[in-house]
Parts: sequence; structure tokens; C-alpha cells
Amino acid sequence: MSLVAFAVPAALALIGAVATVFARDVMRMALGLGAFLLGVAGLYLWEGMSFLAAAQVFVYVGGVLVLVLFALDVVRRDPSGRPGTGSRHDLTAAVAAVGTFLLLANGLRDVPVGAPVGSGADRVATALLGPFVWQFEAVGLLLLVALAAVVAVMARGARR
Amino acid sequence: MSVIVLCAALFSIGLYGVLTRREVVAVLACAEVMLGAATVQAMAFAAGRPDAAQGQALGVVLVALAAAEAAVGLAVVVAVARSSGRSRVEDLTEVRG
Repeated sequence: MSLVAFAVPAALALIGAVATVFARDVMRMALGLGAFLLGVAGLYLWEGMSFLAAAQVFVYVGGVLVLVLFALDVVRRDPSGRPGTGSRHDLTAAVAAVGTFLLLANGLRDVPVGAPVGSGADRVATALLGPFVWQFEAVGLLLLVALAAVVAVMARGARR
Repeated sequence: MSVIVLCAALFSIGLYGVLTRREVVAVLACAEVMLGAATVQAMAFAAGRPDAAQGQALGVVLVALAAAEAAVGLAVVVAVARSSGRSRVEDLTEVRG
């Protein structure tokens, strides 16, 4: 059961990531990103982090993915060329990616990954409003600044 | 062990996408893949510890940070596309040194 709980979201995340990177059609790229984000939420569930999995679905699949689709709708009218891969630096990028993979897989090999112990929303709330209260407040401030920045950028773009 | 290899693979796939995609929205999506892989890896390290709830709290902070980054990044892309009609990375050279 544990193997299935890991393998299914892992496969979904891998397929989604590959589709995000290699899909030539931008809508397929967005679908791949959605599959990746759902797979990540499944991996959080496998790790016993149900609150984070729910936050992932709400914030990413419900928010960020819709933002990406909205941006694609605006950007797709770009007449300067069709989207997709096709860089001259593909080989260099592949070497960098494989090197990063080997570095990460080897460097983190000895870090212990224990069996998930599970942690409910009540304990997350205790952590967020206890030892992490300043980080929590800082993130709230950051989201407010980001909201103001988005409004400012869009208003400036509309004035031009 | 398997989750370490999985996250390394996801991060590398995202890195390849960031380096090769030409559409700015696609580059942002690939950056999201990298960020997601890194967060899953961090949570995997925290999940087996007795204070896993603190790790999960850090994960919530990371999700909020990534959402703010995506919102600002996409707003810039949309504003540039609306004002100049360009959305490919090689076209955006105003701040090149």
C-alpha cells in the first residue's frame, strides 16, 4: 500500500514535469504543470502532511495554475513566433541538468529519510503560531507586498 | 532513498526546462517544477522526524513564497506582453548590462 501511495503520485509528478518541459503546445504544458502539482500534493499525502497537501491543491492547482492559464491566454496572441523548445544551448542545458541530478542524488544519498510519522493541522497551527510566528507574519507581509506589486505592475502596463 | 532520486530527477528536469524554453510563461512553469521538487525533498527529510509539524509549517511558508513569486512573475509577463506584444526571453533585453 505504501509503495502504491508513493509510486502513483511520483509517476504523476514525473510525467507532469516532463510534459511541462517538453510539450510544444502551451496548453499541454499547462496540463502537464497541473499533473505535476497534483502529483506533488499526493507526495505530501504520502509523507503524512495532509494540511500541506490541501494547501498545495488550493494554492497551486486552484490559484497558480489558473494564473498561468490566464497569462497564456494573453501571451498566446504574440505574433513573434510559436512557443516551444529549440534552443541552440540544448546540449549544454542537458549536461547541466544531468550534472545537477548526479550531484543531488549523490550528495543527499546519506541523509536519513525516516518513515513518515504524520502531523495533523492542529500541530501545524501550533508550530505556525508558536516558534514560527515571525516567519508566518513575514510571509503575510510578503503576500501583501506582492499583491500591491501586481496591481502596480498591471496598472502601469495599462497606462502605456 | 527513492524519494531523493525522484526529487533530484524532478529538479533536473525543471532546470533543463528553465535553460531551454523560450516562452517566459514556460520558464516560470519550469521554475515552479524546480521549486516543487525542492519543497517535496525538504518535506521528505522533515516527515520522519518527531517534530514533523514544524517541517510542515515551513512547507506552508514555502508554498506562500512560491505563490507570491508566480503572481509577480506572471504579472510582469502579462504587462510586457500587453504593452509590447513580446513574450519570449530573447526579446526581453531592456535590463541587459
